[in-house]
Amino acid sequence: MAELLLLIGGGAAGVFGALLGLGGGLLIVPLLTLGFGLQLREAVGASLVCVIVTSSAAASVYLQRDQANLRLGMTLEMFTALAALAGGLVAFLLPEKLLALMFAALLLYVAATMARGRAVETGAYVGTATPGAGSAAPGAAPGEPTSADPSDGEGLAAALSGPGYRVHSMGRGIAGSLLAGLVSALFGVGGGIVKVPIMNLVMGVPLRVATATSNLMIGVTASAGALVYLFRGGIDPYVAAPTAVGVFIGASLAARLAHRVNLGFLRLLFGATLVFTALEMALQGMP
Amino acid sequence: MKRGHFERTIGLVLAVATVVSVALLAIGAAGMAASSIGPLDRPFPQFDVARLPADVAGLRLAGLLWLGLLAVILTPSLRVVASLVGFAMSGERRMAGVALVVLAVICLSAAVGAGG
Repeated sequence: MAELLLLIGGGAAGVFGALLGLGGGLLIVPLLTLGFGLQLREAVGASLVCVIVTSSAAASVYLQRDQANLRLGMTLEMFTALAALAGGLVAFLLPEKLLALMFAALLLYVAATMARGRAVETGAYVGTATPGAGSAAPGAAPGEPTSADPSDGEGLAAALSGPGYRVHSMGRGIAGSLLAGLVSALFGVGGGIVKVPIMNLVMGVPLRVATATSNLMIGVTASAGALVYLFRGGIDPYVAAPTAVGVFIGASLAARLAHRVNLGFLRLLFGATLVFTALEMALQGMP
Repeated sequence: MKRGHFERTIGLVLAVATVVSVALLAIGAAGMAASSIGPLDRPFPQFDVARLPADVAGLRLAGLLWLGLLAVILTPSLRVVASLVGFAMSGERRMAGVALVVLAVICLSAAVGAGG
């Protein structure tokens, strides 16, 4: 019975996550701790496995549709993965109650971001943050990156640019990636809530590409964190396997449901769920 | 290899690996149901690399579950390996180096996790 409930719970997290463009981790961790009484670290370990599943499934589609920037994603992955390794180690040092309080704060932050960032999340094309950088270079062929301007002093960033936009502010992108990796391994989430705004608003990557690239990066990031949990006994296979299968089914269903669902209502429901869950987690974290 | 085609090939590799790894997980989950083992049963089997081949060969539940989980966890690494090969073949040395660093960090994670 519990296995079926996990499958269904994982499925629901997969549907919500895929429809709203978030990893399922924000729901899976509370589901496992509050719903099934698991220790937070075990829940985070299982959640990281689920996050890898959703990321891999989504990223494969984004890559085949040519929406993700593979080169930029892999460059930033060096830093998200390194931070996830550190986060995995730190997670085993921090008291569970402190982790629960920090997780509650993360949930509230995400709920607040969703409430005020609607335009950013749903915009079709945001363009670039620097004037004039949003247009393709003259003569740039579709599928080819915007040509690098040798005078801009950001050779690497220019080489990582894509059609119609030029990547910039690599330093801040790297800092954001480090934060995203740390958050991912500490709380069992994808970290897209950090990466997408950084890439979009700071680095000049169009929203659609930033979302796809973030999805691509989540897999490697969560993988680095999950390996620490795996070897330290932080992944319960009895919990992780059925939940991850449920998440995969849910995420696959979401693709078919996407055009039939009122995303505004779903966002409201999700926000309310996050606030309620944050309060529950905060109560759990109280001394 | 032209950009676009390269990404689509990597995407295909990732798609196949994802389906295979989730199928392995589903076999493990089905094995749990068949063995009347619930998710909250304790103690759960610990991951042991040395025992994994024998457990898988013997079709033991722990082996099947860990094989599926390991396949899921390593699926993104497979994408990085495929990218490394593609970048190396197309002469993109800088990106091949980036892929190598990402793989090194993943290996470091496993080593640090196992070492602690």
